[in-house]
Amino acid sequence: MSNYKHIGKDFVPPDITGKVTGKARYAEDFRADGMVFARLYTSPMAHGRVTNIDTSALDGMEGIVGILTADDVPAVEAPNAAILTNTPVYIGDPILAVAAEDEKTAEDALARIRVHIEPMPFTVDPLDSLIEGGPNAREEGNVFSRSSEGSGFRTVKWTPQQIADFRAGKEPTGEWVNEWRYGDLEKGFADAAVVVEEPFVTTGYAHMSMEPRTAMAYWDNGRCYVYGSAQSQSFWIPGLARLLGVEQKDVVLISEHTGGGFGSKIGAYPIAALPGWFSKKIGRPVQLRITREQEYYIGSARVGFQGWIKMGFAASGKITAADIFIVEDIGPNATGGDASSAGGAVSLVYDPESLRFRGLPVLTNTTPRGAQRGPGQNQIAAVMAPLMDKAARQLDIDRLEIRKINAVNNDSTVYENQEPVTSAYMKEALDKGAEMFDWATKRNKPKTNGSKVIGIGIGQGYHSAGTKGFDGLLRITPDGKIHLHSGVGNLGTYSYASTTRAAAEVLKCDWEDCVIERGSTDANLPWSSYQAGSVSIFAHTRTNYVAALDAVQKMKQIAAESLGGNASDYDIDGKNVFNVKNPRQSISYGGAAARAIQLGGSYSGAVYPDDIHEITKRSVERLAGSGLIGVAKDNLEQNGVIPGLACAFVEIELDLETGKYDILDYVGIAECGTVVHPQGVEAQMKGGAVWGMGMASLERHVYDPHNGLPANVGYYQCGIPTYLDTPLHIRTAAVDLPDPQNPFGARGIGEPAMGCSVAAVTSAISDALDGHVFGRTPISRDMIINHVAEREQSFKPLQTNNF
Amino acid sequence: MASYDVMPDVQLYQPAEMDDALELADRFGRDGWILGGGQDTYGWLKDRAKHPKAMIDLNGIEALRGVRKSDDGIEIGAVTTLREIIRNETVNAEYELLALAAGRVASPQIRNVGTLGGNLSQDARCWYYRRGLACYRAGGNICYADSPQGMNREHAVFGASRCVAVSPSDTAIAMVALDATMVVQSVDGERLVPAERFFVGPATHITKMTSMRPGEILTAVRIPSTWAGARFYFEKVADRDVWDFALVSIAAAMQVDNGTIGDSRIVCGGVACTPHRLRDAEKALAGKSLSDETAEFVAPLASRGAKPLNYNHFKLPLLESLLRRAVRG
Amino acid sequence: MSLNINGKIRRVDVLPQETLAYTLRYKLGLTGTKIGCNRGECGACTVLVDDIPNYSCSTLTHSVRSRGVLTVEGLQAPDGTLHPVQQAFIDELAPQCGFCTPGQAMAAVGLLKDNPNPTREQARQALSGNLCRCGAYDNYLNGVMRAAGGKA
Repeated sequence: MSNYKHIGKDFVPPDITGKVTGKARYAEDFRADGMVFARLYTSPMAHGRVTNIDTSALDGMEGIVGILTADDVPAVEAPNAAILTNTPVYIGDPILAVAAEDEKTAEDALARIRVHIEPMPFTVDPLDSLIEGGPNAREEGNVFSRSSEGSGFRTVKWTPQQIADFRAGKEPTGEWVNEWRYGDLEKGFADAAVVVEEPFVTTGYAHMSMEPRTAMAYWDNGRCYVYGSAQSQSFWIPGLARLLGVEQKDVVLISEHTGGGFGSKIGAYPIAALPGWFSKKIGRPVQLRITREQEYYIGSARVGFQGWIKMGFAASGKITAADIFIVEDIGPNATGGDASSAGGAVSLVYDPESLRFRGLPVLTNTTPRGAQRGPGQNQIAAVMAPLMDKAARQLDIDRLEIRKINAVNNDSTVYENQEPVTSAYMKEALDKGAEMFDWATKRNKPKTNGSKVIGIGIGQGYHSAGTKGFDGLLRITPDGKIHLHSGVGNLGTYSYASTTRAAAEVLKCDWEDCVIERGSTDANLPWSSYQAGSVSIFAHTRTNYVAALDAVQKMKQIAAESLGGNASDYDIDGKNVFNVKNPRQSISYGGAAARAIQLGGSYSGAVYPDDIHEITKRSVERLAGSGLIGVAKDNLEQNGVIPGLACAFVEIELDLETGKYDILDYVGIAECGTVVHPQGVEAQMKGGAVWGMGMASLERHVYDPHNGLPANVGYYQCGIPTYLDTPLHIRTAAVDLPDPQNPFGARGIGEPAMGCSVAAVTSAISDALDGHVFGRTPISRDMIINHVAEREQSFKPLQTNNF
Repeated sequence: MASYDVMPDVQLYQPAEMDDALELADRFGRDGWILGGGQDTYGWLKDRAKHPKAMIDLNGIEALRGVRKSDDGIEIGAVTTLREIIRNETVNAEYELLALAAGRVASPQIRNVGTLGGNLSQDARCWYYRRGLACYRAGGNICYADSPQGMNREHAVFGASRCVAVSPSDTAIAMVALDATMVVQSVDGERLVPAERFFVGPATHITKMTSMRPGEILTAVRIPSTWAGARFYFEKVADRDVWDFALVSIAAAMQVDNGTIGDSRIVCGGVACTPHRLRDAEKALAGKSLSDETAEFVAPLASRGAKPLNYNHFKLPLLESLLRRAVRG
Repeated sequence: MSLNINGKIRRVDVLPQETLAYTLRYKLGLTGTKIGCNRGECGACTVLVDDIPNYSCSTLTHSVRSRGVLTVEGLQAPDGTLHPVQQAFIDELAPQCGFCTPGQAMAAVGLLKDNPNPTREQARQALSGNLCRCGAYDNYLNGVMRAAGGKA
């Protein structure tokens, strides 16, 4: 229960009314005078070289305003994604854009343009490229490794026997490029009472955010105004400026609402800069509407895994050794890195005594990959859960107990360098979940009912959930209003608002006296983190905290200057700064703000700290003189790993005859330190639960290996869970124990909320089928049907694209 | 490819009388597109994968709407929406199989405007074909799905003939099970087509799903009283329970007298290019008792003769399970 | 042509093939209705036509000439009071990113016009043609049940 005024209490976020009235504006809702409509021509080939673009058929066509090709925008170094390209590396890669007075005319123009593309070798499954003689996704090689020592292309090939052994679940003997380890692996396996060794596949699939990444842009007085679809706000500026070839002060991002990102809109992506380049070329505002099919192509996807894992368990159930090998599908632009994070997740969630990670990132000509809700952590969560169950059965230990035995706690050391964690209460989360779910009773329930069987599962999720070093900024105006400047993006988590509650808490003011400034980078926002990686709550309760402390200190100094004594003689009550010994000697917040304007200096923002970011500095300069400014960089202490944790318990009723299952009960427990916004945490836990259900059984990329064509470019084929594929009720709760490295004890939850779900569902499906381990996500209806009918699966082990 | 998304130029006619509609259909022939709810229309046109010159919208013709009792059974106007069918008292009282099938089509908004005629005449959902590739069904001479690496999990296990697409319509299998007759009109008059002959497979016509010719309009469906009040079973197994087409579906109508099965119609969807009748099972069931033993006994008949492709052999045990369940109830 | 949108008659030039979603968003300034897929596969564009939920992306504007169209902009009372569905969605924090919200609201309003006291199961069947990528289904259902006066 929260003793705070604001922290831990629900509130009505200021933007929610616009969402229910339709007044909330997303990128495609903005219009500008003279705006033209641009449409993309995307590559029909998985890999090729454009040899000719023939636009002669457009001559004389009315309403065409311009064409933009790769020659009109900056080139980039492979394998990075360009705004437009003449060497497409996946079906859907944008080659050119046409602008017209209306959309239909633009598409009529596209129908007449002839683009000649010379086909090149391609691949849609990493193992098809890895095998000797197999094609490489790019001319430069089939592997791309990014590391601090140096990034680069390689060509790596395995023999057919090595590939066959990998598919058969044996320890891979082919070359790999990434490795880290800790502890004594050999001893760990030697000490093991039970060894579990399994291959696994988690297929990649598209983010498919509800809002396609339409963008609109125009230039005014040398500045580019971009109306974009962004997860983050301030954080977009450096990248967007770079893409547009301008200085940071000359680009403005207007992003008041974003219809989902899930990792695909973290920082500025190339297509967001296309309207700016186009507008500069033709001198008119340009809207580039991205269609659903194009959003599939360019809107990012999860990295795929094909891997092998071997774990040793002591008789007690403790994991003594974990050996993980992952071939990861990093798409055509080498945007991935999930595999190492997966290793890290295992090292944290299950805290094994020794661990080795090996990885091989392989390029394919499929849609570009990127971070997707728990990138790496959530794939491995799905893999681990049925394997923990398998070990538990072999050791005759309860499946809940084995997880508690291995649960990360305050004393755990994690990752390659065996760092400490700030705090971790996984055991408490498991206990709370088990009680709400009634694990004790459910695990003894009869399992079979006609053609239906019950399965119960436990899942655990993790993502690091905090970061530091960003800026906080607030302003008190003479009317007493407190303007909380939030550089946090609005992707639907409400963290842009809930983090500012930290400032209100420190100021002790009423929420009604606060106004949140946000939505455009011209609204004088501080430098903020990206909105991803579950970091915002931790990072920005801290930034708001330090900015508010700065404001409080300044108000006390102003009170002392006005009324006598020292700043330390004064305290605040939410509306006034008063002398502790003589409370009637006071000045209102508004009065202090008026005085700040008169005094100038750091009180009014004329002077500001050296260590804040240049973006924050510009914002303070523009605000200077308008009130009392509270501004500071978060230099609070931070060391060790900040974990966001969650666990889930799931009960399913699986129909052996149809391969379908109903989720009868879902309980999700958040372990994210102090809960800042209860409804917000609940929303993340419920939304993450649905994401996990999608990953567990429905969502996957499908490419025809012969021609590289994608099968699921629309919402229909992407298999996103609907109302009828998710349970009627989802129950959630939180552990709510404070973390010592945040002033309010808060950490994040967005990604673990999904990991625990996909893990619990794979665990439950395995339980329903007497412990059978599919070693694959999604576990689709046909897989279950074939297993029950004792028929082999239709696909080779580790094969992706099985449709 | 451009990945088009906007409706291109196309004419729209909205006749108020049947005669006008028939005249338009005759005039435009292959260049005309008959419009019911449009839910299997606009996607094709937005993708620029099909290029009719004119849409002939039937929604304004009152005579084409409604469920009417006839001398023997009922007649349903082809422009009756699925929503109206699902809520219709007579259909629910006597021909519930149709209501069950209609209730599983797509999503509520699509059922609200989608018509019976449109649902019955909808085109194949093979993803290669839908992508606008020049396959057999599109008038070309290749099948992408039935190839060594083709992604054909959703495709046919019966009745393939160069093309392996499946019949995606949920109401189609109910109509075949109810012995329905389609009323097809043109400027030349009216013809009656039994449901089973209304749907055609690739061996008969590879570029269309029904026996309709250019210029013809499906105006009504007649359901005889044969199966009124019979024992019905409908089940659709799909990946998701909204929007998704059947992996395999079953519509069964059975005469049962004192626990003994008489005549029956058992029709499956998602396994062939037309609704697939399980004739062997129907014969085997006649005279048997309605029991789990009977269900077990006939189950293997459902998959007999099936020819699986790369990724769809799961449909065989699924067919058997659905037949078992149709008998078990 | 004249269209009846949210109780007002609006005159607008409409191409024969034009969809209602396009007319609303680009000719009538009503951008509350969203285009998520333009193929009838997501529900973000849901509006009511004569009280029945339709995908406006898959509706010809010419086919709603003589019908009444209700969009999310038409839910509020003239004095600004929110419709019970809108208020309930706020109270239950149903919207996350908010992009599907107008469509969910219209589907919910259509349901309650047809069935003022639905069960939770009936509510989810009625809204099943609306995708939410954020996965906020549970809270949307809580909102619908609250608006209907029942307990979630």
